[in-house]
Formats: sequence, structure tokens, C-alpha cells
Amino acid sequence: MTAAKKLNLKQKYQYLTRNMDWEPSYQKKSDIFPQEDFEGIKIVDWDGWEDPFRLTMDSYWKYQAEKEKKLYAIFDAFAQNNGHQNISDARYVNSLKLFLTGVSPLEYAAFQGYSKVGRQFSGAGARVACQMQAIDELRHSQTQQHAMSHYNKHFNGLHDAPLMHDRVWFLSVPKSFFDDARSAGPFEFLTAISFSFEYVLTNLLFVPFMSGAAYNGDMATVTFGFSAQSDEARHMTLGLEIIKFMLEQHEDNVPIVQKWIDKWFWRGFRLLSLVSMMMDYMLPNKVMSWQEAWEVYYEQSGGALFKELARYGIKPPKYQDVANAAKEHISHQLWTTFYQYGHATNFHTWIPKEEEMQWLAEKYPNTFDKYYRPRFEHWDAQHKKGERFYNNTLPQLCQVCQVPVLFTKTEDPTSFSHCDTVHEGERYHFCSEACGEIFEDEPAKYVQALLPVHQIYQGKSGGPELPQVLTDYYHINIGEDNFDYVGSPDEKRWNEIKGIKPLNKDTDAA
Amino acid sequence: MTYTVTVEPTGEQIEVEEGQTILQAALRQSVWIPFACGHGLCATCKVTVLDGDVKVGDASPFALMESERDDGKVLACCATVESDVTIEADVDVDEDFKGYAVEDFNATVTKIVDLSPTIKGVHFSLDNSMTFQAGQYINLQLPSCDGVRAFSIANAPSNNQEIELHIRKVEGGAATTYVHEQLTVGDTLPMSGPYGQFFVRDSQPGNLIFIAGGSGLSSPQSMILDLLEKGDQRQITLFQGARNQEELYNSEFFNDLADKHDNLTYIPALNDADDDLSWEGFKGFVHEAAKAHFDGRFANHKAYLCGPPPMIDAAITTLMQGRLFEKDIFMEKFLTAADGADEHRSALFKKI
Repeated sequence: MTAAKKLNLKQKYQYLTRNMDWEPSYQKKSDIFPQEDFEGIKIVDWDGWEDPFRLTMDSYWKYQAEKEKKLYAIFDAFAQNNGHQNISDARYVNSLKLFLTGVSPLEYAAFQGYSKVGRQFSGAGARVACQMQAIDELRHSQTQQHAMSHYNKHFNGLHDAPLMHDRVWFLSVPKSFFDDARSAGPFEFLTAISFSFEYVLTNLLFVPFMSGAAYNGDMATVTFGFSAQSDEARHMTLGLEIIKFMLEQHEDNVPIVQKWIDKWFWRGFRLLSLVSMMMDYMLPNKVMSWQEAWEVYYEQSGGALFKELARYGIKPPKYQDVANAAKEHISHQLWTTFYQYGHATNFHTWIPKEEEMQWLAEKYPNTFDKYYRPRFEHWDAQHKKGERFYNNTLPQLCQVCQVPVLFTKTEDPTSFSHCDTVHEGERYHFCSEACGEIFEDEPAKYVQALLPVHQIYQGKSGGPELPQVLTDYYHINIGEDNFDYVGSPDEKRWNEIKGIKPLNKDTDAA
Repeated sequence: MTYTVTVEPTGEQIEVEEGQTILQAALRQSVWIPFACGHGLCATCKVTVLDGDVKVGDASPFALMESERDDGKVLACCATVESDVTIEADVDVDEDFKGYAVEDFNATVTKIVDLSPTIKGVHFSLDNSMTFQAGQYINLQLPSCDGVRAFSIANAPSNNQEIELHIRKVEGGAATTYVHEQLTVGDTLPMSGPYGQFFVRDSQPGNLIFIAGGSGLSSPQSMILDLLEKGDQRQITLFQGARNQEELYNSEFFNDLADKHDNLTYIPALNDADDDLSWEGFKGFVHEAAKAHFDGRFANHKAYLCGPPPMIDAAITTLMQGRLFEKDIFMEKFLTAADGADEHRSALFKKI
């Protein structure tokens, strides 16, 4: 008698995925998977798909259940021990406001996106991988909200994150990013999210927020980060597999994939400008500068990746050099913009303290003192005169990335890289040549972009005046959620917690 | 103190030093275990301990659950060993790997041949027969050298009492200098083997391309002799790279072999022969010869590469641009102490 050979993980996984699949008999495959072809990606043989991970459903439930039990025990302990009192400074909570309104809803959008594409591939291996990731993303959205819900009891601006994500002007940047991906075909979606975002750029989102939490005493968010990391590793391998698979299946796929990489690198880079501002300005205890993070996580790691991808005939993203050069500027350009619009945000803004300006000058020796410190000093002087500057005209948003047209030319950091084009009699504006090029490639898609500023001017956002827009449409509580940190209810509450007497306004450096 | 870790289901063995993690040791010894973060957070390198004493190390409680710890799971990137150990990892069994047991031999030098100014052919007779797969290597213990050195076997496995090695003199290398300057016929040295995952995948269809550089002809020589002996009908194309005619060795032998076998094509390439009027063959690097011969299209082939890292690297790029991918490419890199580890690598490729 011969003993049955023990199955290895790969074989077990195949039984549970591909071998559960069947050949349709009374419906055409192209009717069942109608989105598989229109993008032009040619798949010769789905058997060439190598499962990026081999996690079966039963072990998935078991591991995630135990992980979550642990995670929620820590959330409970955090809440019971008033963990919010141990953070570095209440200004830190503003990073969480940005995260909860800007990032957590993206996890939910990713859940929807993966659920959709998890239905669209005729290859069972890819379907299963996407469905598993869909569940991960739903869990992440939930656990993030639970991790931060404790802060909502003690600080302002966290009370209506999903609604704000859908409506608030600057949150259309992350929202439109995922809308663009989700309304693309299944292969582009995976190139956009699994590859460009989860593999190439993920460390520039997660490391700053999770290390930021660790450096600022936020145990709840740190613990969420640890609990998500084993999922993230799986997501990254899916990103690599989809790229390899498309490139190996047919050489006609190479130029299509290249175009998507060019596009989604740039879209991701623009989205991450919000993170750059968080790292350099919003964290009281700083982890590293945006420039340093970009050098380590993009220039080095991405450089190694694109060196290897060159073997497939893939070139580094087209506008990589522009992004590399911008590392010395974007965080400052964004925060100076948000400072001007601090009346229209769900988080507080401030002028960096002198020691923070010194840190910025040290980290950005070529740019901070030369271009950006003078602006802060000017505004600070105005503020001290009782003329806190708020910009009361609404910004021109880029038709593609939806960031206000605020970034500058590589060769001249004092002039905007704004450009425009006329399409079917209408003029469209862009923050950069790269976004303009994305528009030109698919104008019919981007003319439909819902730009919050246009919506306000068209009277579709709660009313004709900004206060109504903020209160009625954005659900921002004026005087609580917005304006400067100094003088805010958040600051007052923090001072009470810490037993700090309010600073005399005249000696207040901030 | 060093322990042996056996990785199931492949049965590969690695030597793990005290304090060294299983993953560190495995990667240094070219044994693939899936991994990502490298420091206990992502759980990609989770393995099961089947036997032996393993310390879990600093694995995150979210990456390695209590219940998993109770079940003998560890993360290879954090785990250290305290005895000989057997683990099971998420690696594929290669159905063409025969897994012949590693044994110790006393090998006596029977012949030393000058193959080229820098490469000697060293023939040994063994005190016992060694069963191996063509393409595998042995470890040789040389006097006055710390540790053992790996050399690929150049003869066909049918002759299992003898071992033929091609040994290039590495500038400043103690072991190869000893071979070139002091080793004499009649010397007996401790040898162990066979090792390695470089062999022809008979289960995989497709014509065969061999690309060899320098003394990296050894494994392809063994593999091709073996294929021809067994009457394999696939088309075999051997590209051999050398600097100049002096360094190009065994070329008459392969020319003769190609004359006798319709399915063997032999293409030598010299990369430093621009001024050599007597050379009528291909001038340029060996990967360029392959590209020219196949017109840059390699699809439906299987490629076997053996030689120094820069040659392998250039060959992989050429093959991939010609639509041959990781699953179609097998290789043995001849590393010397001078070859640094790759500092920045993405996780795009597993083996190449």
C-alpha cells in the first residue's frame, strides 16, 4: 500500500480555487466576463497566473478573528485608560482627522473596487485573490474607524467622516483618485491600486501615518497598523503578480501597462502630497521629512523595482523626474495653501513654531528658508496685527487630480505649473503637464469630474455663501472644527487635560 | 555552533549559525523561502517546525498568533535554531528534483588538465559512487582553506565513480590558487555532494538553450552529455562565452559532438577578439550571440545559464526581452568572495 502523497500548500490552494471553477456550458464566457477584453489586455492562458498568496478561507477566518480579538482588546484598554491623554500634543489629532476623512473611506472604496473586479476575471486565481483582498479592505476600513472613534469623544472634526469624504473640497482629491480607478477596467484597476498604490507607493502612506502614530503616542492607531501589516504584504504580492502576468502574457500588453504605470504613478504622487504635508507640518513629533521618505521609499526601492521591470521593456514612470524634483517643495506648497483655507477645513491649521521652522530649514536647506519661511513670517506678522489671512476666493482645481492649481514648475518654484486645454469648446485646467496628458488620453472620462469648487459656484453645495456650504453641506462646525489650532476648543480641552494654563496671547509664538 | 535545517517539502538543507535567522541563512545559501518585510511583521515567511528546537524570536503577535505558535509555526525571518531542525515552508516541490542524498567522499586527483590559461580541468576518482543529477555541484575541502568551496560537476552522471571539475583561478582566491599551484595528481581531498537545484527539467517541454561563461561550461557540459546519452530529441543550443581563443576551451570537443548529433548546435562567442583575424566565429558577448542566433525571439524555449553574475544578468535581460520569463529560466551563478550581495532588490523576481 502506498500512502497518499501529502499535498503541499500550492496544491491545496489550487483545489480550493481553480479546481472549484468550471467551464460554462450554456453561456458564452465573454458574456459572463464582459469587461475582460475592452482594455486591450491580451490573456493567452490564465493558467500562467501564479497565486500571489495561498491563504485558504478557513485559515483566513481563524487568523483574522484572533488578530481582531487582540486588536479590539487593545482598543478597549486604550479607551478605558484614556489613551488620548498620552499623545504628544492635541495638534497630532489633526493627522487623524485627515486620515479618517481622507484614507479610511479609500479602504472602503478599495473594498468595493476589489469586489467588482473579483467578479470580472475569467481566471479563478485572480478572482479569488481580489475577493480575499476585498474582505481585507472592508476590515481595514472598519478597524480604522474603530481605532479612531475614541478620539471622536474628545476632539472635534471627526464626527462625520464618510459624508465629508464625499463632499469636502480637498477630500475630492482622494475620492476622485479611487473613483477614477474604480470606473476603469479590471486590469487598469489592479495596475492602479494593487501595483502602483499598494506596491510602489504604499510605504509613503502607511509608514508616515503608522510611524507618526508611534512617535506621537497613539497606541490605538499603531496597533491597527501592526494588525494590517500581514494583510498589506499579501496586497503587495498581488500587485506584483498582476504586473508580471500582464507583461508575460502578451507583448502587446507592454505599452498599455506602461501607460497605466505612467498615469497611476502620477495620480498616486499627487494624492500623496497630502501625506507630505502631514509629515512635515502636522505631526508634533516628526518621523522623517517627506523628502527623506521619498528618497528611501520611492527613489531607492522604486529605482530597484524599475531596474528589474526594465527586463520586460518597462520604463520608469514618465514624470518620475518631476516628482523627484518636487520632493523639496510639495509639503510646503500644500500646507501654505491649507493655512490660507483654514476656515474651510475639518482640521486645524497653524504657523509652524520656531523650532519646527528650524527643523524644516535643516531638512530642506535648498528651499525652506528661501521660499517658504518668508510666507509664514509674513502671515504670522499679519496675524499678530489681528489680520489673520484667509483666502476668500475659491481655488482653481485641477480637472484630473483635483488638487488646487498650486504646484510650481520644476525649473521655477515661484511660477505655477498650470496648463489648460480646450476640449469641445470648453476650457479645462490642470495642475501640471502630467495631469493634462492624462486628460488628453481620456477626455470623455475627465470632463465628467465633479469639482467641488465648481459645485459651490453652481450653488449645488448647500447655498451661495461659504458658511452655509461649510455648515449645511460639509457638516463642519464653524468655530469648533476649523480655524487655527490656537484658540480652538481642541486646544482648550488639551490644556485642561494637561493642566496647562492658556498662554498669554502676546507671548504666543505660534 | 552550526546546525542543519532541512526545508521540506523540497528536502533542501541549509547550515544555520547560532544567532542567525533561518531566513538569513536560507537566502545566503540560495534556498528560496517566501518573505517580504524581513523583520517579523508581515508573516509572509511563516513556516512550520516539524522537528527540532526553534526559538520564535521577535515575531509580532499580530503576525504570528498564539494558536499558531502552539501549532509550531514560526517566522523564518525571526526564528533561530538550537538543534538540527526540519521545517515545512510554502515552497514548490520540483518534480524533476530527484533528491539524491548528500554523502561524504574521499576524492583522489587522477588528472589535471590545462583547459585554458586560467582554467584547469581536475579529475577525481571517488572511494564510492556518487549518484547525482547533471548540473549539480559538490563541495570540496582544500588544505589551508576555511570551509568548503563549491564546484559544478562537468562529467555526465553515468560515470559516477569519477568527478570532473573546471576550476578557474580567482585572483587572490586561496582555494583556487591552491588548485592551480599546489594540487597534484594523487592528492586525496574530502568531498561532499551532490548539491543544488540546477538540472534539466525533463517534465517541461521546449527546446533547450544553454548559455555558459568562463568555467561555467562545466554544468552545461554535464547536462548536454547526459541528454545526448539518453537520446533526448529536443533541439539543444549551447552558447559558450570566453574572452579569446586561448580562454575558449573544449570547443573542438563540442564541435565534434555537434557534428555527430543533429539536435545539438554549438555557438562559441568571443568578446575580446576584434583584432583576432583567425577567429571566424561570433564576436561579442555570449548573450549577444544568443540574441543574434534566435533573432531576439526565445518563446517556447527553456534556458539554462551558468557562469559569473554579470553574464547571467545580461543573459536574463536578453531572454526576457525575447519573451522568455522566470519560469523558463534556470541558472547557477558562480559567485566569488568579490561578488557583493545585491543591496536593493525588489520582490518582483524570486530566483533571478
